[in-house]
Amino acid sequence: MEKKKLLIIEDDLVLQKALSEYLITEGFEIKCAEDGEEGVKMALTEKPALILLDIVLPKKDGYAVLTEVRANEGTKNIPIVLLTNLGSISDVEKALELGATTYLVKADYKLEEVTAKVKEILNIK
Amino acid sequence: MFNLKQRVYDEFNLKKQADELGVSVWQTPSFLFIIMGLVIIAAMTGIYVVSAHYDSPEVVVISESLVVILLFTIGNSIIRTVEEVAKANKMKTEFVSIASHQLKTPISEMKWQIELLLIKFSTGLSVRQTEIMNEIARSSEKMGRLVNDLLDVARIDQGQLALDKKNVNFCDLANDSVESQKIFAKARNIELVTSCNVDKLMVFADKRRLSVVLDNLISNAIKYIDGKGKVEIFVENVDGFAQVCVRDDGVGIPKNEQDNIAEKFFRSNNSIKNRTDGTGLGLYIAKNIIEQSGGKLWFKSIENVGSEFYFSVPLAIEKETVVA
Repeated sequence: MEKKKLLIIEDDLVLQKALSEYLITEGFEIKCAEDGEEGVKMALTEKPALILLDIVLPKKDGYAVLTEVRANEGTKNIPIVLLTNLGSISDVEKALELGATTYLVKADYKLEEVTAKVKEILNIK
Repeated sequence: MFNLKQRVYDEFNLKKQADELGVSVWQTPSFLFIIMGLVIIAAMTGIYVVSAHYDSPEVVVISESLVVILLFTIGNSIIRTVEEVAKANKMKTEFVSIASHQLKTPISEMKWQIELLLIKFSTGLSVRQTEIMNEIARSSEKMGRLVNDLLDVARIDQGQLALDKKNVNFCDLANDSVESQKIFAKARNIELVTSCNVDKLMVFADKRRLSVVLDNLISNAIKYIDGKGKVEIFVENVDGFAQVCVRDDGVGIPKNEQDNIAEKFFRSNNSIKNRTDGTGLGLYIAKNIIEQSGGKLWFKSIENVGSEFYFSVPLAIEKETVVA
């Protein structure tokens, strides 16, 4: 079976590395971006099966990335999981209004749970 | 319960008010209102005396003006105090919120790296090394929970606590909570008994946060038993609500503290207070989560006999099932 490609847009390199290594061992192909601008570019060129997106990012924040990815014909249907440590009502509402598939608070979720969520969205058993 | 005597007592307990608001006694609104009342009485008497003894309208006008200036000054002090307190509270809440967010990043880094090491790269680690890593994992979990509690309190104070409501089987949730607490109960020689008279009880609520409430009540029940004891958990359907009762035969809550136990940072002065750790935030958060979920939380307790903590959440209705 072909490996599903995921794009991680995360500026914290420790978190990015831990998440990507875990997901690689779970059989995914991983692409990473460290800021919002690079993230949008990679979303357009790589056309990943799913994007894991941080909110607080340099150059362009997660909300802007979300808006641009949703506005582009070629990427508008890609599921986007917001991974952040913000978690107030206004953050969640804004993310869902802009078209995020779901919203996970990093400090509350294990890598195993993030992976389970990704698999659930991509319908992988 | 509305307690008039207590309300009057609180109104005149200026020292307590000053401590709560973080201002001097003379700055408390109650003190300033009392002074204002006395000034009004004195002024009315004074003006009566002045007008009875002097026919000159100028004297009456000057005395009335002086009273108005005095009242205006006191009123201004009250407004300034209230503004200062509100500002300090806002700054405190914002500080806790920012500090907690900043703390969450290193906590996430620790948690994810430990998990990666233990689950994916544990080959070559000795038994002792794995044991130490597990200890570190538990400590980081504990730190994460503390930060979450502080952040939740800040969000509750700002009216920003987000609930991710979905249809959840309440019985499964209660069973999972009991399972997760069994190890702590066993370690303390406490029997944990569950009784659920239904298999399925669908509620429309935030699964994670409801688990926090259940874990909190069960772990409190376990913590506050001195020696051997029993904790019973009853789940039932009561008039369109899923209702839980967590009963223990522990030290109970002293009667004079029962009105305060859901307050922020409040810890009861019971016999084993110093032997149990806690921040006094758990019940405050639990009560707010339940109330925001459309339910209520209450308790009955007798000192040295035990406590019964109850909460209820509304059952899911058809329309919400479609939305979820």
